[in-house]
Amino acid sequence: MSASSPAVPDPADAALRGPSARERRARVWQMVQLAPIMAVLVLLFGGALVLAVLQSLGFAPWFGVNTFPDFGYFGALWGSSTFWVSLGLTLYYATVSTAIALVFGVLLALALVKIFPGKTFYKYLYKLPLMIPYTVGIALAVLMLSNGGMLSRLAAFAGLIDDPAQFPQILKTHYGWGIIAVYVWKQTPFITLAVYAVLLGIGRETEEAAAILGANRRTIFFRVTLPQILPGVVSSTLICFAFNVGAFEAPFILGGGFPDTLPVVAWRYFNDADYTLQLQGMATVVSIGLVAGVILFGYLAAYRRFERRMGRN
Amino acid sequence: MNRSAAFASLIALAAASAVQAEDADSAAFRDAFLSGEADWAAVEARAQEEGTVNLYYWGGSDLLNVWMDRVVAPALSEKGVALNPVRITGTKDAVDLVLAEKNAGKGVGEGSVDMIWLNGENFATLKRQDALLGSFAPLLPNAANLEWNPDDERSLLNLRDFGVETGGAEVPWSGEQYVCAYNADRVAAEDVPATFADLRAYLEANPGKFTYVKPPHYLGNTFVQQAIYAHNPDGTGAEPFQQSVDQIEAGELARLIAPGLDYLRELEPLLLDAAGGTPRYPEDNAALDGLFLNGEVDFNCKFGLYAVATGLSTGTYPEAAQQFVFPEGTMIKNKNYLAIPANAPNPAAALVLADWMTSVEAQASKLQMTGMPSGIDSWMLDAAGAQAIADASPGLVGVTQDALDANAAPDTNATLVDVIEATWLEYIERDSTDPIEAIVARAYKNLSK
Repeated sequence: MSASSPAVPDPADAALRGPSARERRARVWQMVQLAPIMAVLVLLFGGALVLAVLQSLGFAPWFGVNTFPDFGYFGALWGSSTFWVSLGLTLYYATVSTAIALVFGVLLALALVKIFPGKTFYKYLYKLPLMIPYTVGIALAVLMLSNGGMLSRLAAFAGLIDDPAQFPQILKTHYGWGIIAVYVWKQTPFITLAVYAVLLGIGRETEEAAAILGANRRTIFFRVTLPQILPGVVSSTLICFAFNVGAFEAPFILGGGFPDTLPVVAWRYFNDADYTLQLQGMATVVSIGLVAGVILFGYLAAYRRFERRMGRN
Repeated sequence: MNRSAAFASLIALAAASAVQAEDADSAAFRDAFLSGEADWAAVEARAQEEGTVNLYYWGGSDLLNVWMDRVVAPALSEKGVALNPVRITGTKDAVDLVLAEKNAGKGVGEGSVDMIWLNGENFATLKRQDALLGSFAPLLPNAANLEWNPDDERSLLNLRDFGVETGGAEVPWSGEQYVCAYNADRVAAEDVPATFADLRAYLEANPGKFTYVKPPHYLGNTFVQQAIYAHNPDGTGAEPFQQSVDQIEAGELARLIAPGLDYLRELEPLLLDAAGGTPRYPEDNAALDGLFLNGEVDFNCKFGLYAVATGLSTGTYPEAAQQFVFPEGTMIKNKNYLAIPANAPNPAAALVLADWMTSVEAQASKLQMTGMPSGIDSWMLDAAGAQAIADASPGLVGVTQDALDANAAPDTNATLVDVIEATWLEYIERDSTDPIEAIVARAYKNLSK
């Protein structure tokens, strides 16, 4: 992103007359402000990333393995058809849940900017899932939707089915209804929050103007509202999608077993009693990072192009 | 997960060049004890100085956690040692920690793990990496409660762990046998299977009413081993599987395991949820217990000599649960152990804990409170001790001890477990079209890498 800061003087200009004491102080202060986040990014994240890449290329002397640089782990992984099935499943769960959460979130945000009785109450209520951890959401899904869960027991009790096991299977299938349900439940409020904040910022004048000029509701949404809330939509879906690609718990507990999503595949490698499989696991983790990185970069690049076409910078 | 693994690697990397150092005082104590120079009073005195013992164990059982806090901790504090129970989700976590610290150059007196509850592959890994304290078990005062004479065949489980020689580097703590339970409300007594063929016949009449824990979980591995024993083409059962990978060729192993794996592959369409496309294998015993309790499956096979009695008292088993003999002649029996790592920070306190854990008092209260079978040998105890253990037993439900003993079989060698597990994943889970010979050969090659 191109955030320009007024505190930084033009470098060429500064070189000509030399920085004043005040500018130097400002620069030092800026460094101090950046230090904590840079330390986290460079040391913890960057360090872990470098080690992950090294390991996936065969560098792990602490397990007695050192064949660096060895692309065999990636070769074995990408060469097997199950990797591509797993990748497809991972992207399917991530995309479908982000898309559903986006639709729900935008509808909810549009509803919330209107004035209606009990609005304050609803404004608190919709944020509830944000405060509840994913694991609790997963546990709720198991309690309610599984074949031994509340719904199946109630159905058996009411005589609709003879045995809780006959209840149609919602969780633990490769359609991933359970995974998608948990993600949508948790991420709809997140997207709503982002879009609602943008909606409040832009006010309602442009929409009203369009309405006076005779645009119908559909046109107003797609031609006036949507382009204005797009920054909120892009940033929130970006975060949700990235999370969904890398998340482990929901596909592990609610997924349909083999073939698993990529994070679960990586976990299985790490958890195996055979140590050398950890390198295969690292190759899987690096692959997840590559795929997510490429998709997110493409998404942002497309958005930037759209912004430029719209005349924004 | 990823971050912490990488972080552990970072530590290992930073210290890779460090010289293998150890605390001289702890090393001297270790050498004196292992050579028999230090008497038990000296061990107890040093244990009081050390003050704490860090026991790493699988924390998934509430009954066991309560026992640790209510019984073990007070008993140890009487000896001047504070118990620090570290509950982990998988024993491998503790093994990883020991190896990471060892590779970072931490020797005896400097690590963070004093004792691990383990068996099988985890012990074999520590042994292979030379990460065990030494042959301490026969030197404990309570070692008298165990059969160490190799001429007596009942000593097998004290001397070998999944076919790997223990060498006294771990002390038996609990014994187990793989016993199945059925729900008598759903299965008529005459339909209860006794062999794998019976099980298949039952599932053909009642599809989807059975599943087993997914390998590589040890409960799943054990079920697969039992099927392999029962289908051994030579009819020699468990016998050839006591050898290590160095002693048996890939082709020969493939020939021996092929009928068992073919049986399991043909069983797949009859397993839980297989009608909906893919069979469902639960991830662990808690998941299997849930399926059994909910009536989604009619059978529950796991290591659980007293699982039914304990499950009924805690409400985790259906009320009509009964144990039964299955599969005839190949019900795997093993022990689990307490091991002291080579870099234990408090070696004397660990020895005191190991000794207390093998006492009659500890074993009887563990059996009574947790339903975990005794790990010491009843024929080595005096009459009062043997009676105390017998009185503490929660009891078998629907089977007799004699029937279980008559059908017992030993575990598979830990090195073969890796191969069989890899073959199951390839042949059954991934539905590989390669012949078993090729899959086993590949597993051999990966293992020797």
